[in-house]
Amino acid sequence: MSLHHRDTVVARPRSARHALGRSSRLAGLAAASLVLAACGGGGGGGGEEDPAAAEAFPEDDITFVVPFSAGGPTDTVTRLVAEPIAEELGGTVVVQNVEGAGGTIAAGEVAAANPDGYTVLMHHIGMSTAPSLYPDLPYAPLEDFEPLGLVTQVPMTIVARNDFEPQTMEELVEYVEQNAADITLANAGIGAASHLCGLLLQEALGVELTEVPYEGTGPALQDLVAGEVDLMCDQTTNTTGQIQGGQIKAYAVTTPERVETLPDLPTTEEAGLEELQVGVWHGFYVPTGTPEGIREKLSAAILASLEDENVVSQLGELGAAPFSQEEATPEAHRQLLEDQIELWQPIIEEAGVAAD
Amino acid sequence: MEILQNIGLGFETAFTPINLLFAFIGVALGTAVGVLPGIGPTATIALLLPITFGFDPVTSLIMLAGIYYGAQYGGSTTAILINLPGESSAAVTAIDGHQMARQGRAGPALATAALGSFFAGTVGTLALALFAVPISEAALLFGPAEYFSLVVLGLIASIALASGSVLKALAMIVLGLLLGTVGQDLVSGTPRFTFGLRELYGGLDFVSLAVGLFGVAEILRNLEGNITRSVAVQKVKNLWLTRADFRRIRGPVLRGTGLGTVLGVLPGAGHVLASFVSYSVEKRVSKNSHEFGKGAIEGVAAPESANNAAAQTQFVPLLTLGLPVSPIMALLLGAFIIQGIVPGPNVINEEPELVWGLIASMWIGNFFLVLLNLPLIGLWVKMLTIPYRFLFPAIIAFASIGTYSIGLNAYDIYAIAFFGVLGYVLIKLGNEPAPLLLGFVLGPLLEEYLRRSLIISDGDPSVFVTRPISAVLLLLAFGAFVLAVLPSIRRKRDVVFEEES
Amino acid sequence: MKMHGARKDLLAGAVFVGFGLAFAITASTYEVGSALRMGPGYFPLVLGSLLVLLGIAIAVKAFVAGEGDDLGPVPWKAGALIVAALLFFGYTVRGLGLVPSLLVTVFLTAMAGRNARVIPSAVIAVSLTALSILIFVIALQLRLPYVGPWLEG
Repeated sequence: MSLHHRDTVVARPRSARHALGRSSRLAGLAAASLVLAACGGGGGGGGEEDPAAAEAFPEDDITFVVPFSAGGPTDTVTRLVAEPIAEELGGTVVVQNVEGAGGTIAAGEVAAANPDGYTVLMHHIGMSTAPSLYPDLPYAPLEDFEPLGLVTQVPMTIVARNDFEPQTMEELVEYVEQNAADITLANAGIGAASHLCGLLLQEALGVELTEVPYEGTGPALQDLVAGEVDLMCDQTTNTTGQIQGGQIKAYAVTTPERVETLPDLPTTEEAGLEELQVGVWHGFYVPTGTPEGIREKLSAAILASLEDENVVSQLGELGAAPFSQEEATPEAHRQLLEDQIELWQPIIEEAGVAAD
Repeated sequence: MEILQNIGLGFETAFTPINLLFAFIGVALGTAVGVLPGIGPTATIALLLPITFGFDPVTSLIMLAGIYYGAQYGGSTTAILINLPGESSAAVTAIDGHQMARQGRAGPALATAALGSFFAGTVGTLALALFAVPISEAALLFGPAEYFSLVVLGLIASIALASGSVLKALAMIVLGLLLGTVGQDLVSGTPRFTFGLRELYGGLDFVSLAVGLFGVAEILRNLEGNITRSVAVQKVKNLWLTRADFRRIRGPVLRGTGLGTVLGVLPGAGHVLASFVSYSVEKRVSKNSHEFGKGAIEGVAAPESANNAAAQTQFVPLLTLGLPVSPIMALLLGAFIIQGIVPGPNVINEEPELVWGLIASMWIGNFFLVLLNLPLIGLWVKMLTIPYRFLFPAIIAFASIGTYSIGLNAYDIYAIAFFGVLGYVLIKLGNEPAPLLLGFVLGPLLEEYLRRSLIISDGDPSVFVTRPISAVLLLLAFGAFVLAVLPSIRRKRDVVFEEES
Repeated sequence: MKMHGARKDLLAGAVFVGFGLAFAITASTYEVGSALRMGPGYFPLVLGSLLVLLGIAIAVKAFVAGEGDDLGPVPWKAGALIVAALLFFGYTVRGLGLVPSLLVTVFLTAMAGRNARVIPSAVIAVSLTALSILIFVIALQLRLPYVGPWLEG
């Protein structure tokens, strides 16, 4: 085993001397990630940089900017696909984590980056909710970015403390309608997937529950396991282990299809709540103005990565699946982004949570 | 004996050459990065996490865990040598550790930290192996109300960190609590005291605060023109502990280990609480209590043992329940997920090799740390003989790069400058910085737990006293407060009598 | 008998009152709520007010105790240089890149030393920059570009 890590630096390891010069185009973005250079290292990018040279792309490291912490679900998804994408492009991909303000710091930086295809943003559903949550954004998701394609949608599960009275989704609906005022609903903070799903759940049931915010999923789940709070809706990545271990109970999954790792769990649609459809979708973006040829190359590589065996099986273990080839195109991505911005705006406004 | 089987399996796994190697690489890297000012363990793991993706799950987690407790180790070295705690729990070590260094006793201080940590690490690991499951169940008895009361107790205990005026220590705690409120409000999303900067939505950076308040302020103090303040002036007396030293650290190490083992399990700030509660306890029970703050070796032994024991038991909720109780544990949870392991209560049964291998590796890692660090003590102490005109620019340069590389946020650097000046002014005016730092760490938790308790109880404040654990903790807090204030009242009366007579 | 540190305490009290007021006044512009339904302003408002009270108490105690000792020397030049160095680093590290930014930062910092002179400080700047690159970029592999876009023209 060598220290060389394939998922982070693929295909063309670089030696440290390349930190000089061309990669400075990535400016300050380029530091958060640590790259272990293998000894030696193949060729690097020499010659003049020419953004129009789609033909020669990629001549240098491509940076995938992840707006959340290393080790989180979004980071995991990005690193999973980074390897096959790099292979497809015949280049090197470096993953960087730029955290802060619900992912808007990273998005703002990529929006302002050189539109040459070497700085790519990975973002999830938060791309569509940020304009409603942060009124003073320095960028507009639809105008300042070109969607490159979708990767995966992580399903969400509606879960409760073990001794919570209702046993099925149907019972839950009835119970919630009768006891809304006494029920507590945990979330992992403003704008988190669990917060969004919770808003949608309340909207679908036409009730207002007592929302209990936490700093991250870990402590929220802990209180759910301990029985301090009643309900929560969170990604399968976070809840599957607890459900399988019998620490919490699950009512339904919020995607159109059941999840492989939790085969007994009905979908919200089966349970009669078809309005409650939400998943944490992930996609890639480049700044507007990136040459079309380069975008096409990147999109094609992203599409190809979704059929990679390792990607499919690893996502499966997380309770997710890659988007199909038709669903993952840049056009479908743009459409989804537009729809989601429209969907979330009134819901978030009504909930009165905004960072203004 | 199932437990013996498990431990056997653990050592079998941990003793493979590859795992031994990576346990060593982990603790060595952790020590190295921990020693550099600015980069703490959370940042280190976040930076190094990607390297491990290609490894076997056990190997990867062994190395990451090694980085974590290795960095804690390295962090106390900087705290002692240059008064720069790389991590919140090391802030307590800095108080007496750095005073010892000034008196030419950096060697014994570092040795105490190393030995105390090793002992505590061993006990913590053992507790983790023997009682992981019952401990995790106990942790679930703590709801928001209990945590609130615990944080109150911790804040009261931190008054004892100051050797001067109680009023000033209280003011510093409150100022720390206020600085902790900077950032986006968790409940409403309202940004507070952010001057409209989204870079501040996540709050002030702990590392910037610590580097400014301790590191930069210390440099400014040393540049006041008063030659005697320089660290290197005092002749280094000896590198190793004397027999008297050994006698003095025995009790503090034992008590610190006990407190750390228990408190480490609690989410949020368990290991910070552990290190300064144990300091407060020692200050109260020690017959050398007048030396605290002036270089008492107990003041190094107790918090170092406590935070290292806590560093081990912090893994309990992660390994038994799949729940991360701190940002570092959340990163390790991410490592599980990336390795294709679904974190949860089943992990301990489905992946016994992983869990027990990791636990066994922690003991081995602690052993490596002692082996690695004891010989290094001489080298570290020599570092103090570097001329100060070279040393302080190096501290500023490394701290700037380290802090910047974590978040790529220029505001973190501006914050260092701000807190450097603020820290200098406050220290100059006779205030000690440690209580402020602890207020800053605990402030967000205090507010969060308080508001969460009241949200869940639907605005009923009686939860804090009707829940038995919470009530006991508040009672203890009240007792600690009376004990903290009493001596100052008595002292004042003594002064009054003196004047009359 | 004379109490020590009285003048220090007066100033310390003033600093705390200042911070307390700043936080409390700003907090009152946020939604405050009530003790049992706290808004974002509640907690900082209460703490800010508490800090004002503590500051006043410290100052009053000092005033009653009478005049105390002197503050001692203040390193104005060193403080200004170090603050300038840090601000410069934060402002330029991205634009100029690590090497030029660090050279200036370390030089300014080194000039803060007692009896510092230009040539030795420049030597310290060059050698520390080299050492930093060795540690952070080469050994730890942090991806901090040596030269930033401002210099690339």
